[in-house]
Amino acid sequence: MTTRKLSIAVKLGEHKAEAVRYAAYAVSGSAYVHISPAKGGLRVAIEPKPGCGPAPALAAAFRRELEDEELRARVSAENRELREFLLLKAVNYRPAPPPQDDSGLTPQQEKELNDLIAQIENEIRTEAPGSDPLGITSTWEDRYESKKRSRKAR
Amino acid sequence: MKARKEAGRPAKAAAPDFNFRRLPGGRVLLTNDSGASAVVDEAGFRAVAAGRPAGKTAAGLEAKGFVRERMDFEGYAAARASRNTFLNSGPGLHILVTTLRCNHKCLYCQAGAAPAGGNGTDMSRKVARKSVDFALNSTNPGLTIEFQGGEPLLNWATLSDAVVYARRRAKAAGRDLRLALVSNFSLMTEQKARFLLENEVSICTSLDGPADLHDRNRVFAGGDAHALTVRWLKYFSERADRQGPGYRVFKPSALLTVTRASLGRARDIIDEYARLGLGDIFVRPLTPIGYARKLWPEIGYSAADFAKFYRACLDRILELNASGTQLRERHAMIMLQKIAGADPGYLDMRCPCGAAIGQLAYDYNGDLYTCDEGRMVGWEGDKMFRLGSVLKDDYRSVMLAPVSRACAAASNLEAQPRCARCAYKPYCGVCPVCNYESQGSLWGDMAASDRCALSMGMFDALFGLLQKPAKAKILNGWIGQ
Repeated sequence: MTTRKLSIAVKLGEHKAEAVRYAAYAVSGSAYVHISPAKGGLRVAIEPKPGCGPAPALAAAFRRELEDEELRARVSAENRELREFLLLKAVNYRPAPPPQDDSGLTPQQEKELNDLIAQIENEIRTEAPGSDPLGITSTWEDRYESKKRSRKAR
Repeated sequence: MKARKEAGRPAKAAAPDFNFRRLPGGRVLLTNDSGASAVVDEAGFRAVAAGRPAGKTAAGLEAKGFVRERMDFEGYAAARASRNTFLNSGPGLHILVTTLRCNHKCLYCQAGAAPAGGNGTDMSRKVARKSVDFALNSTNPGLTIEFQGGEPLLNWATLSDAVVYARRRAKAAGRDLRLALVSNFSLMTEQKARFLLENEVSICTSLDGPADLHDRNRVFAGGDAHALTVRWLKYFSERADRQGPGYRVFKPSALLTVTRASLGRARDIIDEYARLGLGDIFVRPLTPIGYARKLWPEIGYSAADFAKFYRACLDRILELNASGTQLRERHAMIMLQKIAGADPGYLDMRCPCGAAIGQLAYDYNGDLYTCDEGRMVGWEGDKMFRLGSVLKDDYRSVMLAPVSRACAAASNLEAQPRCARCAYKPYCGVCPVCNYESQGSLWGDMAASDRCALSMGMFDALFGLLQKPAKAKILNGWIGQ
């Protein structure tokens, strides 16, 4: 009884194939799901895995997931550029440095200098083969000893 | 006509970038990549998805980045960057396996220990020192060296030498170093305890509940495992309460490993921790690696069983808290800290996971592994997670080892089809070693993963409790909120 296979017809005008695929994946822990082309859409066959089921409950779960995945697909599509922008912004985020009044530079000069440094660092990062922008391969000495040395030299 | 209609309506708003999960009772949890979360009812959910939240909750949703047209980009980026600062640091946790020998035969031992009287599985002083030197290469500003086994006290000569050496090296280099010992206490003596206290080594042990349960899980032919554990927990606790001049004494911590025998005993276990005056309990599910995997049919359980047990533990802990007993559950604290936007430094729930880039395991012979779980797989004969050796490889080559990269790629939640769309993504993590051991690939299949189901169950339990004001107050109090 619990191993009976159920088939669900999905109209592609109502649901995206991507949403069907994700919804199928969501229930794939409990069921074998086979998606095949059918007239006007897709046919989704759901067969409970041993110890899971019953099939009607899994089919109902699939339908619920399908609605949610449809929304997720829309949210994902509408926000692709925003998501990438926010990711870049977070990766490049640096907290504002505390104000320094003894640099001898005007704020404009300081900004120009920082822009120049950022530009050069960016060029080094993008041009170096096998670049390591996060410094994951650096040792403690690589990162901090040179700074210590230059401080001592001063 | 059409133009008039459009003019009379506001332009269609886009949905914000968010993930969601339906909670019991019809409410919906929303999260986004800055780590913000909110729980709304179905109408509120539909309004957010339509890009038009209204009413009393609108301002709160806006502040959390759930209204696309009114986002604080700087705040969002700062929150996201702050949650991921670990990406700029090297490995912080360095696990030195000073011996594989152990005098216990715990049912679930994933460490696959060698017999106490065996030989050829102790770390030499030379390898221990090389390991300390290697660990100090890391750029992480706060290093922890953790001595593990087997039972590390079985190789006291190397352990004590490594402690002194590590303290000396760290002091000379001006490094912040924490030392930790994981021991079953069966070989602890007053002299060893004093040495550990004087060198500021924090102590962690296992306590599986009342004596009958503890002794059933942690088989020790040489004596009473539970009594020894309790005795030394009290010893270190008393010294931590007293403190004293010269050095800091850390409160000892204890871990609970949940076996099938623990299910149904939540109250007994929690009450045992409370009876001993322990401040925290760490309720950990079994990991199906090593010996535990072989014994899974006898000691394992389903994710649903664990979720029920975990919820029962939290209920009892909250009950005790409400009546004035201070006891916190560490998994919940870790999750709460993450929900609050902090990084508790927990390597199992990170994206990417801590394998190699967050931690390194140093085997007794100097072999380096991505993590202790990876080392266990190596001990079983599969060197999949071996990164190199402290005796001949340099730090750069270890960080760049193919398996370091593979683990980082496999545990990137953005590339996991289920995780990328999961509401718990900002707080969760996957384990390539568990995937490999239980599902045959680093990548795994989260839809069928017990570990994923376990994590979901724990998050569900926590978010369920956070909906109840009195319980939320206690829980948030654990992390000073």
